[in-house]
Amino acid sequence: MKKYLYIILLFLAALGCRKLYNPPVITSSGNGKSYLVVEGMISPRDSTIIRLSRTVPLSSTLGVRPELGASVSVISDGGSSYVLHETGNGYYTAFGLGLSEAGKYGLRIITAEGKTYQSDLVPVKNSPPIDSVYYEVKTNGVQIYADTHDPTNSTKYYRWDFNDTYIYQSAFYSFDYLSTSPFDTVLIRPRGNQVNTCWRGDQNTDIILNSSAKLSRDIITKNPITFIPSTSEKIGNRYSILVKQYGLTQDAFNYYQQLQKNTEQLGTIFDPQPSQIPGNVRCLTNPAETVIGYITAGNATQARIFIDIRNLPAWLPDNPYAGCRLDTDLFARPEGTADYLNEVQEYIYTGVHMPIAGYEPPGSTRVLGYTASDPSCVDCTLRGTNERPGFWTDQ
Amino acid sequence: MVSAQDSANKLISVDFSQAKIEQFVSDLESKTGYHFYYSPVQFDSLKVTLQASNKTLGQVLDMAFAKTDFHYTIKDQFVFLTKGRRLYTDLAVGFFNAPAANNEAEKQPTTAVDYADETEKKVAEATTENKIYEIGIKTNNIKSGTATLAGYVRNIKTGEAIIGASVFDPDSKVGLATDQFGYYSLTLSRGRHTLLIRGLGMKDTRRRIILYSDGKLNIEMQEQVTSLKEVQISAEKVANVRSVEMGVNKLDIKSIKQIPTAFGEADVLKVVLTLPGVQTVGEATTGFNVRGGSADQNLILLNDATIYNPSHFFGFFSAFDPDIVKNIELYKSTIPEKYGGRLSSVLDVTDRDGNTKKFTGSAGIGLLTSRLNIEGPIIKDKTSFIFGGRTTYSDWLLSLLPNAYKNSSASFYDLNLGITSQLDDKNTIYLMGYMSKDNFRLNSDTTYAYSNKNANIKWKHNFNNKLYSVVLAGIDHYDYSIASTENPIDGYKLNFGINQYNFKTDFNYYVNPKNTIDFGLSAIYYKLNPGNEQPDGAKSLVIPDVVAQEQAMENAIYLGDKYDITSDLSISAGIRYSLYAYLGPQTVDHYAPNLPKEAVNVTDSTTYGKNKIINTYSGPELRLSARYNIGDDMSVKAAYNSMRQYIHLVSNTTAISPTDSYKLSDPNIKPQLGQQVSLGWYRNAKANTIETSIEVYYKTIANYLDYRSGATLLLNQHIEQDLINTKGKAYGVEFLVRKTAGKLNGWISYTYSRTFLRQDDPFAGELINGGDWYPANYDKPHDFNFNGNYRFSHRFSVSLDVTYSTGRPITLPIAKYEYGGSERVFYSDRNAYRIPDYFRTDFSMNIEGNHKVHQLTHNSWSIGVYNLTGRANAYSTFFSEQGGVINGYQLSIFAKPIPFINYNIRF
Repeated sequence: MKKYLYIILLFLAALGCRKLYNPPVITSSGNGKSYLVVEGMISPRDSTIIRLSRTVPLSSTLGVRPELGASVSVISDGGSSYVLHETGNGYYTAFGLGLSEAGKYGLRIITAEGKTYQSDLVPVKNSPPIDSVYYEVKTNGVQIYADTHDPTNSTKYYRWDFNDTYIYQSAFYSFDYLSTSPFDTVLIRPRGNQVNTCWRGDQNTDIILNSSAKLSRDIITKNPITFIPSTSEKIGNRYSILVKQYGLTQDAFNYYQQLQKNTEQLGTIFDPQPSQIPGNVRCLTNPAETVIGYITAGNATQARIFIDIRNLPAWLPDNPYAGCRLDTDLFARPEGTADYLNEVQEYIYTGVHMPIAGYEPPGSTRVLGYTASDPSCVDCTLRGTNERPGFWTDQ
Repeated sequence: MVSAQDSANKLISVDFSQAKIEQFVSDLESKTGYHFYYSPVQFDSLKVTLQASNKTLGQVLDMAFAKTDFHYTIKDQFVFLTKGRRLYTDLAVGFFNAPAANNEAEKQPTTAVDYADETEKKVAEATTENKIYEIGIKTNNIKSGTATLAGYVRNIKTGEAIIGASVFDPDSKVGLATDQFGYYSLTLSRGRHTLLIRGLGMKDTRRRIILYSDGKLNIEMQEQVTSLKEVQISAEKVANVRSVEMGVNKLDIKSIKQIPTAFGEADVLKVVLTLPGVQTVGEATTGFNVRGGSADQNLILLNDATIYNPSHFFGFFSAFDPDIVKNIELYKSTIPEKYGGRLSSVLDVTDRDGNTKKFTGSAGIGLLTSRLNIEGPIIKDKTSFIFGGRTTYSDWLLSLLPNAYKNSSASFYDLNLGITSQLDDKNTIYLMGYMSKDNFRLNSDTTYAYSNKNANIKWKHNFNNKLYSVVLAGIDHYDYSIASTENPIDGYKLNFGINQYNFKTDFNYYVNPKNTIDFGLSAIYYKLNPGNEQPDGAKSLVIPDVVAQEQAMENAIYLGDKYDITSDLSISAGIRYSLYAYLGPQTVDHYAPNLPKEAVNVTDSTTYGKNKIINTYSGPELRLSARYNIGDDMSVKAAYNSMRQYIHLVSNTTAISPTDSYKLSDPNIKPQLGQQVSLGWYRNAKANTIETSIEVYYKTIANYLDYRSGATLLLNQHIEQDLINTKGKAYGVEFLVRKTAGKLNGWISYTYSRTFLRQDDPFAGELINGGDWYPANYDKPHDFNFNGNYRFSHRFSVSLDVTYSTGRPITLPIAKYEYGGSERVFYSDRNAYRIPDYFRTDFSMNIEGNHKVHQLTHNSWSIGVYNLTGRANAYSTFFSEQGGVINGYQLSIFAKPIPFINYNIRF
């Protein structure tokens, strides 16, 4: 038997290396070249809100760059033009344009640098009323749904967004507050300025779409709007959601659907293949310029519901105040020595602690100090607002 | 004397039909009264068929022995019958002074000749070039017309079949190449011929034959000792000019072994990549693209078994054991009608047959892999086996990888077994088994594993010299699994698997030298498990997620004819008709017509029972080619091919990755259709040592699968919702200059090619790049390869490889913005940008020990550098976000020169 023996010696200097790769196309958008982003809906009846912004380079820490100083107007197929007013931060609005719903409308934008942009003229697609917004209790949370139907069978494509609000309380109810003029002193907190109960809210970050195009009738049932996990602080007390419903054309629906799939993914080492989504806004000054966004027209409909903790299973939602501790800050600690520390001055007057109530132990004849805690445990307005929303009802 | 003269002139009448010598002689003895002397042994192959009336004895014998090697001498009342030479009864002039010749000695023939049995004679093993082989049933006169000679061409040392050896008759210019079994069948005019036989890495040889009637001749060839250092690409040196086929590349393992690779181990697939028209998306990927086709459009066969994943270890190694592989053939344009089911190409890898003469083996120990192979006879000269195995211990290599992979481990092995048994002259059985397994774990606790398992049995039956059949039955299997138990709560195991049951019958019919017909049928039953996720571990709370199994049947019949219209014009025409049925049990969703296949547009679904035909697709595939010779060393060829493909790789990565799944065509996913026209010009110069060719092609693909943006492909219950049909077109021109002999040999190839896809179905819901053509992932317009070997002496040679290609297209994220309530990334048009161009140079030196044949050990060194210039070619680009900032990165696999040294010792 013949034998072969191969002895293979192999030297490897190094195997594999990773280095920065920023081709000019990526960095060039940082040299002032960025694309206009147009977002919003022309509403014939209600307020029209258009947001203009610019793309920012991938390497930028900036989230968004608003486009300021543009003149924006709604144009119609009849040749009329309606001016929107700049309300700051890239928003341009008009209230109740009172447009005919038979017309087609578009957007005309002249930026501060003098470039003209115009969207396609789109038909008005009104949303039918929302039949109901309701929720179902699941094992691990609450699922919110919306139902709708269009008796004329003409809407077919829908988009939803929502604003939700919930009520929460800080760890400690504060009876006192720090008054800084004319000098630092702790006073009784007026009743109307409580900082214990607050409201805060979110809006959707996902794009919510559905279509009845495949059905013989224009009915949407049980369209998922959002899911609140059982651990969420949102359902720790009372929760409210305002669902807005929009009717879309098929083109607009496709645009949003692609946007939905083309989320924040970046592409890993295995290269998935997202690609550019063409919108319906064009640059008239430079037709080759890319513009991002899709302008739609129509009146939205909306509906609001409340969810109360009493109607939910006995879940244990996360409590952001779980780590809070009550301290006592004294004017003099230790008492009766010359070499004492004035904790009220040291912690409360400096804002390190927020006063909660006067400390007057039994037998004591005067206020020795204050119970206090970290402001984030006392002041709920640090995370929300203590102004009761107009729509808010208790139970 | 007088009476002798009288009886010699006596007229006799004879009537012999296949008469044996005894019969013939006794009849003549009784009729003439002469006495015959002859050796029965010498004459036992003679059969006389003769009718004559009123002839003399001499005339009768003349007729009986005409055109044969037999002679007679009449002396007195005696007739001496001899073979090979005539007995002269007269003495030479001037002989009187010498002693009288000993007639007795001359009566007995002295030449020892191999006398074969006249009927089913044992096939002569023709080993000597000067010997004359008598083929067929020997007759006293050679009939006019043609007869067919057939047999096997084998290696004299190992008994293995030599594929693609040319058997050529220079007088009539009739010749052909042996097929995959080393079998040839040649129709020649009856009579004397000298056949020239040439084979890959074999010493040219010749055989002298006398062809009486149809018969067999097995030819054994000797290895060419110096062939180790020769690049021999083409089996038949004139094949590229003379064959009707276009776009076919053949490589034997010796030329494969000559090309430097990153780890010094010969790699079948890496060499394929250096051929014109073949491209890859990345360095360490094994998927390859042929003439604008995707990676899954290549049918990769190992001894007729379909290999679904031809790579090990992220594509660093190919799944084919270089010690077992004999040769490969890549069909890019003219795809024989017996192959089907893939659009772009067929890569046919053939393993060696075991040595039928003696036990041999080889073993290799390396830093990355170890190999062992054993082969030998089970029954000498009849049944042999070959076994090969490879394994790796490459964990140390992974520690050199970028940090992301630092705590990784990987291992693989593969096993090959082949048994060849020649039952008799007409029947041969081939058994093959293949198994490969890869395991790897990347940094995390997620374990990946994949495995190929293949087995088949082939029975080759020769009905006669002109017709043979091959019947094959086999199973091909591929699976992978991903498992993670890092977190016991969500421990899972995900499986994918595909089983393919094959049955195939091929017939080959040599009608005449001008016409060869092949026909057959094939049936494939697919059983596919697209994904099955199960909880792993007792604590796991993972909910099982199972995508329903898929079943389908793919049947085909084919008929092809190769016909020489004139000596210069040949055509080959074939038709293959395939019928595909998607079978139950299955639940199929229906989508509203003229709406995108989206979840919102599902109207209803139908559930089908077991083996119910859900839907069928069928259609013809045409395979046409023609060749016209312009002189001896130049030809032009044209070809048209159409193909259909029913199984699709579902992957939005650019190469075959171990977690890609396959999808069968179903009511929502149509089969892919491809068509190709090609035109070629071939010219050989300097006695066929320099081959030049130019081929142009244009190709269209319909129903090519591309993916929606953000597609989810794994465990997708409704995969059709993430797929879109696109059209493809590809065109290109391929230049090749190859020098096959001499001190300097090698090839230079340049390809200009473009591949575009287009998605313009308004109902698909998403128009990629606005419905315009966009370049495919593997569109690399310029591709240049140089492979050169210079032999300074028999003991020292150097090899240099240079590769250049345009960088492949990518889609870049170019900005970010806020829309619809969250931050989004803005991408360029699909494939609008390219990664930097690719350039690599490899160099190796081969130093052989002395060439004394009978020494104990043979040594050789191979020293080289992979990526000599150290260019950091981009393997992949990716983007990652850190602290709200997104940065692009380029990953290079072999970013520095990698020296390697190989010491081989053979004893």
